[in-house]
Amino acid sequence: MRGPRCFLAAVFPGEGPASLARHRACCLHCQAAAARKRSLRRALSGLADEVLVAPPGLQLRVLSRLGDQDAADPRRPLVVRAAARYAAAAGLALATGLAFAAGLARRQPRALG
Amino acid sequence: MTPGEVQRAEEEVLNRARNGDREAFGDLVERYQDTVYTLAVRLVGPDLAADVAQEALLRAWRALPRFRGEAAFGTWLHRITVNTAWTLRKRARRHAADSLEGDLEDRGLRPERAGELAELRAGLGRALSALTPGQRAVVVLRDVYGWSNAETARELGITEVTAKVRLHRARLRLRTLLEGSR
Repeated sequence: MRGPRCFLAAVFPGEGPASLARHRACCLHCQAAAARKRSLRRALSGLADEVLVAPPGLQLRVLSRLGDQDAADPRRPLVVRAAARYAAAAGLALATGLAFAAGLARRQPRALG
Repeated sequence: MTPGEVQRAEEEVLNRARNGDREAFGDLVERYQDTVYTLAVRLVGPDLAADVAQEALLRAWRALPRFRGEAAFGTWLHRITVNTAWTLRKRARRHAADSLEGDLEDRGLRPERAGELAELRAGLGRALSALTPGQRAVVVLRDVYGWSNAETARELGITEVTAKVRLHRARLRLRTLLEGSR
């Protein structure tokens, strides 16, 4: 990775401002990296055809443990975790803002005095 | 059977399973257990994969009445598997020392895989197992299964930018590992 433009060109392929597109078109380093990436992606996509055989008895184990259907959201734990993370970030930002505002408020009377 | 007839037959089985028919769900499990297990192996490694596959299939059964058919059933099942694997990630970390390579090389692969291709895939398996769980999940979903950045980010509970940066780092690491093994 040569510099920030090469990094941005690699992380956001086909995106970004015109200057990044121009950089992509003329930077040999980026072009070589893109070619290596294509070859890696081709190799990785080949893995999609491979199907491993599930361990014997998996189907029986699943069927023996079926409970009631409750239409529970199967993604809930992850959604809850993501919501908690966003709430924590929002809380931290709020606390930082309040601390900053309090600092400013404390400084102003001193400056006036 | 034509592809249309196959699809209609699957829809019928799905409808029965959605209405609580356990036998119909058994047919679906039989049909999809290998692909669910394969994805689980790629995400968390062989030791935990059977547990992830089992839990994912059980969650699918519970949630089936919610399934509206907006995506293919297989895609829906894969999303649940990713979520389940992520939920059990802490357990997966405890098994971090276990390599994925054994499974990707040997267990249950179709017999026609041989020679150079098998070697390349074994190398990829080893390299994938060396990634962090977060990097591995992104690269498996994006580059192996062809999910979009948006889908990958949504299912992993991260932002699209995080997914892109993680993918970039994972690819760099994979390339380094693969070049180092040559």
